[in-house]
Amino acid sequence: MKWLHSFRWRILFGAFLWTVGLVPLVHVSFIVLHHLYRGRIGAFTPAFVISFFFMLVGILLIRSAFLPFGRLRKQLSGLSDGSLRRIEGTYPTEVQPLVTDLNSLLEHRERVVRRALAKAGDLAHGLKNPLAVLAQEADCADAAGQHEMGASIGVQVERMRRQIEYHLAHARAATSGDVPGARCPVLPAVEGLTRTLLRIYADRGLSIQVEVSSAHFIRGQQEDLEEMLGNLLDNACKWAKSRIKIQSVQEDGAIVLTVDDDGPGIVPAMRDVVLQRGVRADEAAPGSGLGLAIVRDLAELYKGTIVLENSPMGGLRVRLLLPA
Amino acid sequence: MRVLVVEDEVSLAKQLVTALRHAGYAVDHAAEGERADLLGHDEHYDAVVLDLGIPKMDGLTLLRRWREAGQNMPVLVLTARGSWHEKVLGIDSGADDYMAKPFRMEELLARLRALIRRSSGQLNPELRCGPLVLDTRAGKVTLDREEVRLTSHEFRVLSYLMHHKERIVSQGELTEHIYSQDFDRDSNTVEVFIARLRRKLGSSFIETVRGLGYRMKAGS
Repeated sequence: MKWLHSFRWRILFGAFLWTVGLVPLVHVSFIVLHHLYRGRIGAFTPAFVISFFFMLVGILLIRSAFLPFGRLRKQLSGLSDGSLRRIEGTYPTEVQPLVTDLNSLLEHRERVVRRALAKAGDLAHGLKNPLAVLAQEADCADAAGQHEMGASIGVQVERMRRQIEYHLAHARAATSGDVPGARCPVLPAVEGLTRTLLRIYADRGLSIQVEVSSAHFIRGQQEDLEEMLGNLLDNACKWAKSRIKIQSVQEDGAIVLTVDDDGPGIVPAMRDVVLQRGVRADEAAPGSGLGLAIVRDLAELYKGTIVLENSPMGGLRVRLLLPA
Repeated sequence: MRVLVVEDEVSLAKQLVTALRHAGYAVDHAAEGERADLLGHDEHYDAVVLDLGIPKMDGLTLLRRWREAGQNMPVLVLTARGSWHEKVLGIDSGADDYMAKPFRMEELLARLRALIRRSSGQLNPELRCGPLVLDTRAGKVTLDREEVRLTSHEFRVLSYLMHHKERIVSQGELTEHIYSQDFDRDSNTVEVFIARLRRKLGSSFIETVRGLGYRMKAGS
């Protein structure tokens, strides 16, 4: 009786049984009619016409009852691939409560994620003030001749800072990476970051060339995109002699972002080291910041990739691929 | 040079104020947004170090209010929130530089110096008037390569004049920029500092423009 699990067959079978049940009833009423108006209605042809018409309308109605399910399925896949945040439109009365419940569940989930994020953020930021105080104390100890203690506190503060940064970025991406329906345009993020970096590095006389299409979107949160691109561009600004370039290209189902600079670049042997996992970054070579490792972690959470290459501009080229 | 520190964390504020005073700045401190807002509007600062998470009025609102009112002193934002999203927000609200906590005091001092230099149109960290050189990085003054010892007030007067060389600076303006708010000001003392500077550096550098103020001569 597996076929009985199908909604469609149950309705059809039910309608069939209902009709079969109806036949004797109709039959009896026809007999009654026949006895009442014997001979006056010559034939029952109009009745047949009406019967066929009703049956046709019945079939159309049942068909239309199933149409919303197809629409619902399409919307659900839209939710999971990120193009939709909520199920939209009105549904038949039996389905609408389910859709409403699903939507409020989505909303609740988003709220919970946002709250958890805010909590993680508060915790991390709450730790930073005491760390800043400790860092200054370390400097004071150093200045007062207690070099060993100063250095030791300094190292520990730096380790804690990296742990906080790493887990903060990680927690944010882990939660926001799969918030259904998040999509974000690339160009505004790039423009904001360019403005910011040109201001911060105003002394350096840098120029940042932007070749990004306003039609390019990635699947994810703006904060995460900004975190990835911010680290890449900041890195480029630190090392560039004078020129930086950022481009975006659409490749089937993904956006490829390329950041070039005209700085010294990174020798191939070192490229894996700078991408090493963030938690271990404090043990990696001194001076290799946490930036690229965080970008790599975020990119992986987004099911993207990051590759370091030689840039035609002479320095480093970073290719970041993110699902669109 | 006069700096406002807006920071609510007591021990950090104390460390900042001490370090900045030590570096030769006149320093005011505000622990919350409303007082900072008031100070920013009433006083003349050469730079502001601004924490964003302060009580009563948050730092970004404060910054936007200042900028809308046409206050264009350089502002260095110092905050626990160091994500790029927040940096973009900070810069778009009118900040000139952005540093995340925890930070290195030396780096903060270096960036603040650069901001002050840029805002007065000086590109070189060494300010020069002929043989007289003020190294903003080391906070040292040399005349013909010989170091000149100056008190902190003398240094502030000279530093302000050299940041604005070839421009007439009134006594009132000098007073505004060399004393912190809690200091009992007396514009006569400016004359005293100028006289002492002339004694130490020779009289040819600082010119008195009668009735208007003082001018640092660039090529002397």
